[in-house]
Amino acid sequence: MDLQLAPKHLEFRDRLRAWLAANMRRPWRAELRDPAATEDGLMEFRRGWQKKLYEAGYLGMDWPREWGGRGAGEVEKAVFEEEMARADAPPILNTLGIGLLGPALIHHGSEEQRRRFIPSMLSGDEIWCQGFSEPGSGSDLASLRTSARLDGDDFVLNGQKIWTTFGPWADWIFVLARTDSKDRYGGISFILCKLDTPGVTVRPLRQITGESEFGEVFFEDARVPRTHLVGRIGEGWRIAMTVLAYERGAMSLAASARYGRDLDRLAAACKEYGRADAAVREKLARLLVENEVMRANGIRTLAYFAEGKTPGPESSIEKIYWSEFDKRFRDAALDLLGPGGQLLRTSPDARPDVDWAREFLWSRAGTIYSGSSEIQRNIIAKRVLNLPQDAR
Amino acid sequence: MRFELSEDQALLRSSTRDFLASELPLEKSRAVMEHSEAGYDPAEWRRLAEMGYVGLVLPASVGGQGLGAVELAVVLEEMGRACAPGPFLDVVLAASLVADAGVADALVRDVVAGEKLVAIARHDAPFAGTAAAAVVARGGRVRGTKYFVPFAASAGALVVATVDGLGLVEGPFETTPLQTFDPAQRFADVALDHAATPLGGGADLARVDRLGAVGASAMLLGLMSRCLEATLEYVRTRQTFGRPIGTFQALQHRMADMLLKVESTRSAVYRAAWTFDAGAPEAALACAAAKAYAGDAARHVCGEAIQMHGGIGFTWELDLHLYFKRAKTLEQHYGSTEAQLEAALAAAGY
Repeated sequence: MDLQLAPKHLEFRDRLRAWLAANMRRPWRAELRDPAATEDGLMEFRRGWQKKLYEAGYLGMDWPREWGGRGAGEVEKAVFEEEMARADAPPILNTLGIGLLGPALIHHGSEEQRRRFIPSMLSGDEIWCQGFSEPGSGSDLASLRTSARLDGDDFVLNGQKIWTTFGPWADWIFVLARTDSKDRYGGISFILCKLDTPGVTVRPLRQITGESEFGEVFFEDARVPRTHLVGRIGEGWRIAMTVLAYERGAMSLAASARYGRDLDRLAAACKEYGRADAAVREKLARLLVENEVMRANGIRTLAYFAEGKTPGPESSIEKIYWSEFDKRFRDAALDLLGPGGQLLRTSPDARPDVDWAREFLWSRAGTIYSGSSEIQRNIIAKRVLNLPQDAR
Repeated sequence: MRFELSEDQALLRSSTRDFLASELPLEKSRAVMEHSEAGYDPAEWRRLAEMGYVGLVLPASVGGQGLGAVELAVVLEEMGRACAPGPFLDVVLAASLVADAGVADALVRDVVAGEKLVAIARHDAPFAGTAAAAVVARGGRVRGTKYFVPFAASAGALVVATVDGLGLVEGPFETTPLQTFDPAQRFADVALDHAATPLGGGADLARVDRLGAVGASAMLLGLMSRCLEATLEYVRTRQTFGRPIGTFQALQHRMADMLLKVESTRSAVYRAAWTFDAGAPEAALACAAAKAYAGDAARHVCGEAIQMHGGIGFTWELDLHLYFKRAKTLEQHYGSTEAQLEAALAAAGY
């Protein structure tokens, strides 16, 4: 056992810390609280911040240099995510492009697709959204019905996608579409579509936070060139499953850095308000312990990456852990802060340290998106515990 | 960077598992638990000592192997899996404290050789929060009563925590056995009026407490791993409504949560052990977090195992209750959850 980062990774971390200190105008929470901030303006700000990170060589960390990546590894990527969280850096805008489509193109795309799409994805010039869920196909994703019919050199798309994160701001969408109505898994293909294609309509959906980060996307005889198929026809399901495992990969370390940062602020707030009784301290301590265990999970995954292993179905454990913890943490935070915890960030009385009200609401999303907790438990039961599957 | 055990550590794991399977299978341990007064088999204890286990983390100067918390965790995880009864963790911790102090190396050598037992006497009252006269060490003597002293009836010496510091006393002791529901453990009250050697300077109780937290969490990890395995075996064969109960999602999701707790405990325990050995600044928080989490996780996992076995799970005959009881003992001792939560807050500066 050896849980110490290698010297080259420590050096990478120190250089990144210095870069963040020199290049971040102010913490993300301060951007959010700026009275002049609008939803559109913040999206543009994130696009600019992403470009800065890209130019400094911090995006596409584990992707080969020839496609615009840094040519580093999963360890650097996890360290990067952790440091971004620790510094409260603005989140990059193209998370779905970089998190999901990037690995899909690197592992399954054509050379031409990599050259065409990866650099603009990394720079933030083209923002991607993910077209997986449909009104009738959420957890049972393979039941999706959006169709892609081959007609000459084009696919013709028809159907509807929903809960499409960044839909209202994206330039492109990667779509899972049905190319064969009889083959449940083998009839799904992975197709790239520009959102200003005739026949494509995007409508924002308002979320419980009041924001419209996601939306719905309609396809009515939208024509997409055949060259925008990733992999072969019918490979879409396999590709989607590979990239989802990547998405769940090294979340724990960054999550625990983010929660640790906010937990420090919560503890400071309790001190400030003279909240030091046993019930308060026990709540804080339990959150601290759970977050520390999450950190241990993250370090373990990091060590696996350092040995060159790739994430498997065990990554579902980490997804459940951080997303379920997020709910407990944000709920406890509101209880500890009292009614003031519910103040909107635009309220002059809201605490400036963390947007506690939004975090409380937002924590309800993590156990639904990217495979709900229930789906993660199914994955663990089937693929890790190998339990028999003939009843539900 | 590497989470996996080194070759030597992996060898220690497999040889310990083999040793326990041949020397301390549960059929045999159950007889010791249920029928022996001492709560362990002295012949087996000597074999354990001969194999070098008792001196695992002690320096070579007193006959030990000089290994670290990671190796101790490996051994205790296996002892947990086997639900091995006896004073192993208690003796390791007390001997480590005495060895640090450097005032009784001859005693430590006897302990390492399996000739004598030593344990730590900590509790001044049987119930949390009850006031009792503190044991004092004045004029070279320790006087007063200690409660819940592990394996006191077999101990040749005790390290006594007093308001005046730690004192080492040698037997014989006047003990009153305390029968708890955990047959793998023995406790007794000890009335003390003994000449004591102060364990000054080098004896670092906080360090040994962290080692105890790691060790107890590792044993909890072994207990819950085995309970999860037993449950997975059972739900594949047990039929209800014409199908194995393992096919029911109501159980599958709960077993997924059991795995989450087992694997998260594994991450926490071995990371804590590693930070302990590395002398890392985060060791205090990591050790406290591991123990606090492991205690809750083990009670949950071992309890779910009983629930999923149904009526047979509630029988004396099935082994599960031994795991469940052992888990509760480990949760309450070696720094209770409350104590670990306080330690975590202190370590984080909250």
